[in-house]
Amino acid sequence: MSSETTTGATGSARPDVERLHVAGLHAASDAVLSVRDLNVRFNSENGVVHAVRGVDFDLMPGKTLGIVGESGSGKSVTSLAIMGLLPPTAEVTGSVRLKGRELLGLSDKAMCEFRGNDLAMVFQDPLSSLTPVFTVGTQIMEALTIHHPAMSRTAKEARAVELLAMVGIPSPKDRLKAFPHEFSGGMRQRVMIAIAIANNPRVLIADEPTTALDVTIQAQVLEVLHTAQEETGAAVVMITHDLGVVAGMADDIMVMYAGKPVETGAVDDIYYNPRMPYTMGLLGAVPRVDAAEKSSLVPIEGMPPNLIHTPTGCSFAPRCPLASDACLDGEPPLAPVAGGALHRAACIKSESLGGTVDVHDVFTAPPVPLSRFDAIPRAERSTVLQLKDVRKHFPLTRGALIKRRIGTVKAVDGLSFDIREGECFSIVGESGSGKTTTLLEIMEFHPDQDGEVVIGGLSNKQAADAKTKGRMRRELQMVFQDPTGALDPRFTVYEVLAEPLQNAGMDRAAIRKRIMELMRLVGLQPDHVNRFPNQFSGGQRQRIGIARALAVNPKLVVLDEPVSALDVSVQAGVINLLDHLRAELGLSYLLVAHDLSVVRHISNRVAVMYLGKIVEIGAVDRVFDNPRHPYTRALLSAIPVPDPQLERTRERIILQGDLPSPLQAPKGCNFATRCPVFAALPPGKQEKCLTLEPPLEPAASATDQQFACFFPDGEMDEDMLVVHEPADHVAP
Amino acid sequence: MLKYLAKRGITYVVMIFLTTSAGYFLAVSSLKPALLEQERIPRPTPEQVADSMRLKGLDPDLSPWERYVDWLTAIVTRWDWGRSPNGAYINAEFGDRVWISTRLFLASIVLTLVIGVALGVYSAARQYKFQDRVITSYSYLAHIVPAPIAYFLVQLGAININESVGERIFYVTGISTPGVEPGWPQFVDMLAHYVVPTVAITLVGWGAYQIAQRQYLLDNVNADFVRTARAKGLSRNQAIARHALRVSFIPVAQSIAFTIPAIFAGGFFAEKIFAWPGVGSWSIDAISLQDVNAATATLAYGSVIFAIGAVLADFATTLVDPRVRVQ
Repeated sequence: MSSETTTGATGSARPDVERLHVAGLHAASDAVLSVRDLNVRFNSENGVVHAVRGVDFDLMPGKTLGIVGESGSGKSVTSLAIMGLLPPTAEVTGSVRLKGRELLGLSDKAMCEFRGNDLAMVFQDPLSSLTPVFTVGTQIMEALTIHHPAMSRTAKEARAVELLAMVGIPSPKDRLKAFPHEFSGGMRQRVMIAIAIANNPRVLIADEPTTALDVTIQAQVLEVLHTAQEETGAAVVMITHDLGVVAGMADDIMVMYAGKPVETGAVDDIYYNPRMPYTMGLLGAVPRVDAAEKSSLVPIEGMPPNLIHTPTGCSFAPRCPLASDACLDGEPPLAPVAGGALHRAACIKSESLGGTVDVHDVFTAPPVPLSRFDAIPRAERSTVLQLKDVRKHFPLTRGALIKRRIGTVKAVDGLSFDIREGECFSIVGESGSGKTTTLLEIMEFHPDQDGEVVIGGLSNKQAADAKTKGRMRRELQMVFQDPTGALDPRFTVYEVLAEPLQNAGMDRAAIRKRIMELMRLVGLQPDHVNRFPNQFSGGQRQRIGIARALAVNPKLVVLDEPVSALDVSVQAGVINLLDHLRAELGLSYLLVAHDLSVVRHISNRVAVMYLGKIVEIGAVDRVFDNPRHPYTRALLSAIPVPDPQLERTRERIILQGDLPSPLQAPKGCNFATRCPVFAALPPGKQEKCLTLEPPLEPAASATDQQFACFFPDGEMDEDMLVVHEPADHVAP
Repeated sequence: MLKYLAKRGITYVVMIFLTTSAGYFLAVSSLKPALLEQERIPRPTPEQVADSMRLKGLDPDLSPWERYVDWLTAIVTRWDWGRSPNGAYINAEFGDRVWISTRLFLASIVLTLVIGVALGVYSAARQYKFQDRVITSYSYLAHIVPAPIAYFLVQLGAININESVGERIFYVTGISTPGVEPGWPQFVDMLAHYVVPTVAITLVGWGAYQIAQRQYLLDNVNADFVRTARAKGLSRNQAIARHALRVSFIPVAQSIAFTIPAIFAGGFFAEKIFAWPGVGSWSIDAISLQDVNAATATLAYGSVIFAIGAVLADFATTLVDPRVRVQ
């Protein structure tokens, strides 16, 4: 059909001398994958985008390299360049050697010999990465056929079954004939891994393999990757933006910024002794799920540079608090750092940033804001929002003309909680646990709802007329997950913010004054009000979304995944802003988030939901430090912590399977099908879990903690506990 | 699947019945064949006209409801769709004309589909290259030029060829030459009549399929699953051919399934311009000739064809897309 991909066409056009010189840089002959001076350029309408600028690394057999960076840092482009999967318009130069053979400059056809054989890849989005019209078995066997045409059909089938079993898919033989849409996201990612390891690759590249998945499923998939690596002995390149994910897996880390590696070294060097301000910032910007202390996060101000213009100085200088004039004079090379054997950092000040320098010494984090409500005991504060036994059941029907009811989806099943003034209340749980339905029920304001929702003293039972509804709505505003989608692209910021104020009946002069106030409040320049949303970065857009929510002075702000679409460095700024606003304006928050670290950082109280019910609720420190319900324990255990030593040694609970379909929910405790405690119980006690529904009862010792489990703190089934063998890690 | 088809079948039968009945009432109350009869020379008396109409079952003095009941009874009991004002039997006429339409369109629609889909794939694989630009521009042109003009142009071309050769190779109108002896000469004569309309309809028709197939394939060429296929070790072209093509064919298959029954329904312009008296031209003629029964019959036929197309489209989708479940 089309002409061959000309991945390295311009590479071969380079002078021979230079190419030989580049090839001569290959020192480590025992490396399975060795990349030197990799550069990728794209032609865009605005000019040449230099997306990857001089990446070097050596990957040793069986080792794991973590490439960490924010969006646009060039990490995915690097992996696609190695695979030869960039579009033909990309200009790739440098050298990529797999077991000593040069890959760059090979034709698409020649690359086929390596791809899927010695070099395999797992992609980010498992939902779209499998061909929808072929069975899973066909797609796995195709990978075998391509590289072993002589293999018999029965042999291929046997191997496919073996692979599916290896990645933990139950009854693999029957599942061969299943189509991708019959699998959940986590299962599809397992299939992707099975395809990738089908031919025992020497190098496995995983590009954000768990970003699209729930934390519990993420833990499962990371475990599968771990097994796959042990089984095949492959070297792994793990690309991620999440410093927690790679902490336990990687041997070496490469931090990328603006298309360039800015710090490389052994994993412990990077986490415990970072020498580049950007790395320090990244580590300081992530909240920790295991830390109770309330210090503000470290935001990295500004945005990554535009890669159309080659930076003349250090590319991080515009955002770096330590930047001096010397930093603007030429890009600093990746230079060895004293201490770590292979630790290198691209910063002229790396020597002064030794182990004793705390991230808070470098970046100025704002002081921890104190709310006037913090001093008042919770019981004495007035209630802003109260839910009393709220239910939302959807009938599940079958049939086109005559609908038969075959079951009920209990999306929200008897929810009761309250939010007091000045506090942040969070709801956590996997997708499908009913978090979003809860928010929708709160925003519904309808007398026919099952259960009562009281907002600022007004009940939904009274909300029959538009006036009452309007008053309730003014008490409660919402900030959405995707800041780009939530703002009308054809409205200027002024119009976005003026709309709620006009609805509230304010006059023009007052609106103008209020908008200026709001812009300052959320940390945006007031003279930017006439710009359109696309002229702002993601973090700034979310600030506009927050300003819109605050426009009418609500008492309660509902935050639906407010930072999950943002990069970590930007996320920290938005979280700090939310913290600051809560204190300054005395706001209450209802936060829904899947990132438990963020929840722990910002909330006062938390509710853990599972299949429409609250299984554990209480003060955030109590619940997170002393979880009683097995589901909370599993959820917390699934969060990777950006601390390599802790990650390597800690015991994790790996839940089996996905959230069950509502039709299969047991009569007693919803969680029994996946419960690690239940699995270890003697049959007599299991009977109780299966037949009786555990009520939400206060923990005896705690003042503010309730959970719904008959056997809290029970012994866990050993099959669901995983401790990684202490690997032969080199101490820093 | 059978149960599903039966269910859909019943729905469509009800739908066809309602459309046809509504069509009949509209025709019977607006078409007045008696008026045309009165323009004859020598002019017949109104009584003569009414008698002649009554004999053909088109009594203008009966109420629309009475005529509807008579008409329906005849169809249900004897499968008799009535007569035209000129005395012809609808059933007989219909049989001839369906066959003519089918012969006119069969080859050209098959060619249209095959060429359209093939060129769509070819041009998608060469996006923005010279071949793609030429093919896709042509397809848009074919869309813009009204079909009758394109048919005339093809006719002119055929006449030019005839003239330059100095011999009559192609016939630009008609189905066959009367009096040609059977066997080989008849076959050659048929081909000579067949080529021009087939070429004309095909040239005009494939554009739509080319554009659709090209678009759907391009939507999938850069899909994540094609990248996965390449990561397994397929070349770009292999990955497109094995993975993207099948997925992009799903919507095209649906529209093809819809088109195929149209072969039997014919087309007004083509039948008129190439003088093939098929169903398409009949339906328009029926209205100008105030022919109630013929107009209703063609309408009923159109609905049946549409229903078959819809069922075929459903069938085609379930065939090519495993995600579609029949319930």
